[in-house]
Formats: sequence, C-alpha cells, structure tokens
Amino acid sequence: MPPTARAANQSFRQNGRWAAAAVASLVALAFALHLGAARAGEGTTAKNAYVTNQLGNSLSVVDLGAGKQTAEITIGGKPAGIALSPDGSRAYVAAPDSREIVSVDTVTQKVLKRANIGQGPLGIAVNPQSGVIYVADWYEHRLYAVDPLTLAITATVATGQSPSGVAVTADGSNILTADRDSNQVSIIDAATFKVTATMPTGERPFGVTIDDAAGRAYTANVASNSMTVLDLKARTQLQDVPVGLRPYAVARAGNALFVTNQHAESVSVIDATSLSPIKTIRVGSFPEGIEADPTGTAIWVACWDANTLEKIDVATLTVVARIPVGEGPRAFGKFLR
Amino acid sequence: MQKLVKAFTVLFALLPFAAAHAHGPSRQKVVETIEINAPADKVWAVISNYKDFTWHPDIAKSEANDGMEVEKTKRSLTFKKGGVVTDKLMAYEPDRKYISYMTVDVDLKMLPVSGYSSYFTVTPDGDKTKLEWKGAFYRGYVNNNPPPELSDKAAVDAVTAFQRAGLEALKAKIESGS
Repeated sequence: MPPTARAANQSFRQNGRWAAAAVASLVALAFALHLGAARAGEGTTAKNAYVTNQLGNSLSVVDLGAGKQTAEITIGGKPAGIALSPDGSRAYVAAPDSREIVSVDTVTQKVLKRANIGQGPLGIAVNPQSGVIYVADWYEHRLYAVDPLTLAITATVATGQSPSGVAVTADGSNILTADRDSNQVSIIDAATFKVTATMPTGERPFGVTIDDAAGRAYTANVASNSMTVLDLKARTQLQDVPVGLRPYAVARAGNALFVTNQHAESVSVIDATSLSPIKTIRVGSFPEGIEADPTGTAIWVACWDANTLEKIDVATLTVVARIPVGEGPRAFGKFLR
Repeated sequence: MQKLVKAFTVLFALLPFAAAHAHGPSRQKVVETIEINAPADKVWAVISNYKDFTWHPDIAKSEANDGMEVEKTKRSLTFKKGGVVTDKLMAYEPDRKYISYMTVDVDLKMLPVSGYSSYFTVTPDGDKTKLEWKGAFYRGYVNNNPPPELSDKAAVDAVTAFQRAGLEALKAKIESGS
C-alpha cells in the first residue's frame, strides 16, 4: 500500500471519522486514475473482458473493441467468480466445484497457479491498493484473505450465512460481503480483518457493488426482487428499490444504476439520485454479471443462458453488441480490464 | 436400500433448515425441443393452460389457484408415483407465446432438483411448430458433497428425461387431436 494511503487508513481507524475516509478516497482515486482503473466516468475504455463460463468450465477473453472472443482458457471446477489484479496482469477465478482459486496470466493467457480455498469459493474481489484477494466461502460462511502470489490463505473472518458477492472500497480500507442467507451486508475492516458492522438488505442479497463517489453500496436481492441502497457513512439501509425478477448484480454508469434480472431477460435502469425507474432493457436470457466501462459510456452484461456478453450503450439505453462467449457465462465480479 | 432410506431420513430431517431459496453454486441447464405437426396456436393453447399439466405422462393431478399472475399463481402437481411438487408462474406472455414457471417445493423422490424453472417457447415453422422446453435448475442437495442420487448429474439426467417425456407426450396428444 502506498504510504499516503496507509497513513490515511490509520487515521481512519484511530478516530473513525469519515473525513479521513474522504482523504483516503481522494488518494485512492488519484492512484486509480494513475493505474487507469478508475470508476465509471473517470477512466479510459476497457480493452478486454474476462468472462467465467460455468457450464463450459472456462474463461473467455473478449476483445471489447473488436467485439469478439479471442481466447477460451480451460479452467475446470465450474468457474463463477472473477477478479483482476490492480495492474490487470492477473485474472483470479473462483471455481466452487473444485474448491479452487485459479490465477491466470492475462498476457500469456495461461493458468499460472491454482490452490484449494475453503469449501465453496464463489465471490471474489481484489483490494485495489494492496492487491490482496478476498474470497467468500458459500458453505463455510467465511471470507478469506488470500496472498496473490502464493494463493495461500493469510486471514479468515466469519461472515453471515452464505456470503456471495464481495466488494472493496477504492481506498482499500473496507470489504463488503453480501451475506445471502442472512439478508445483510457485512463490513470488514481490511487492516484488522474483523467485521465492524452489518447492514440489513432485502431478501437474499447476491451481488454487492460499491459506489465510492456516492458513499453508497448496492445489493441485488434475489428473493425480494429488489435492489438495496446502503449508506456507507451511516452504515444503514437507505432504501429498497423494486427491480425485475431474480436480480443478480448492480453497476453504475453516469447517474444511472443497472441491475441484471436473471429471470426477466432484462436489465432495470434506475435513476441513481431519485431511485425511480428509467427503463427496462431487454437483453439475452439469464443476465448475470454486470460491469460499467470505466468511461461510463457502456455497460457489459454476461447472459448465462444466451451464452453472450452484451453491450448496453448508456446514452441510448439499448443493446448495441452481442458477443458469443463460452457455455453458461456468469462473470460474477469485476471482469473488465 | 436401508442405506438409501437412512440417507433420505437424514436429508428430510435437515430440510427445514435449508431455506427454500438455498442452492448450490452451480446452476444446470437442459434444453429439449420437438417438432409438432400442428399450428402454433394449437400448441400454445395446451402449454399456456397453466392449470392443467396432466399432458405430462408423469403427472396424475394438477391443481392451481385462480388467475395468471406472476409469482402469485401457484400450482400443485401430484405425480403418478405419489409425490407432490409445487410451482409458481414466472412469466406469461401470450403475444410471443412464452410461458415460464419455477418450482417452490420439490419432493426430491419425484425430481432431484431445487429452484427448477421451465421456459417454453413456441415458434411457427410453416404449418408445423417448433416447441422448446428449457430447464434451469440446481441439484437436489443444496449443500456440499451431495450423495450420488442428488448430484448435478442426477439432476441433469432426471430433468432431461422429464422434459423429453413431456414433449413427446404433448406431441402425441396434439397430433392425435385429443
């Protein structure tokens, strides 16, 4: 971690004031911009997508500019979760069936290393500052910190029941898990690796997404067909917003939130300020993993049943590309580079 | 056999703790299609009648509450083997001849699955009709280390047979004019 970010983090821990977090966020933002990994609206266009194909046991590499898959790397173990290292040189895949984390070199497009992690590794995220990997264990109800080089577990914390989605704040100070069967989000301090708070959500939250600029987080709640908006400063639920059938995950671009509705073949578009619906976009069958391009001009959606990665143009709110990928794409996590 | 009975006893003892929506991390898919020698309207008339699922050869009795409301209209299916599976309507779109439903409670001895959703798509092909039945589901055992009879493979095999048998019976029923 850069010294300035560490100092800011320590200050944050000591006095617990969000002013410190704001400083940390600014520092983090500066670094993120520097690394070309800024949040939607502030970065350069993503070049590639790394899409986990759960039924196909593979990882698709998609050239987003050319609009086609350029490689399909064999992974095994029914891969679902995906995360990228801060510099984009590694893709980390969570394979729940073989209980493994698989590290892939994004340059050579080869598997570098694989390691058994827990009983049901599913959700995965990377600390944008330290590069530490976090893996949620669906069956053991824990979050692991995993060393990115050795893939060894370095710390473990108990979460709520069946943690699924994982997200990390841009300053690297806090980790969120969507505890699906506890209807809550846990906040874990990245430095101490302890749960510092839980926030109630709708029923069965699956994906969790952090909106650093707004100081908010969003969960897609599978059973209540809703999206919960969480205030990360007050550490409370702000609102539970109705979306489509069986929502999976949320992304933000511009002033809109995009939610994949697995059973409705659609993406709900919600105004990020008023939280009222703007539009429902028909996409491929079983839309799941979703992420905004860093420029905020496009949204990418993996469609599990249609076997596609689809591009939504944010200006017109229409699907402008459907790229065939492997069998059963989930792309659960951050998959754009 | 005794071992199997024991396994099921343990399983059912555990069931109340397994939330209705819980599932393993890996969703499975089975797609079956059939060509029916009848116009699309005729095929749609049978499969859109959510209340009556007795066209499936495994089903003895089919009862549903009134209406066609997504997630509210529910159905109870009694299998000829004796067990009961309940499901609910998930989509009903007559304009594009599309209907979907999803299991709520499943007797695992009838179908070793959980969260099994079915999607029917009717496509006219001249004076014939192509009918697709797509199933998306999880295995019957929602925790880790499933017994063989409740594994991913068992679920895929059972759903494949269930959908195939259903489509063939439906084709025979419609083409014979009954």
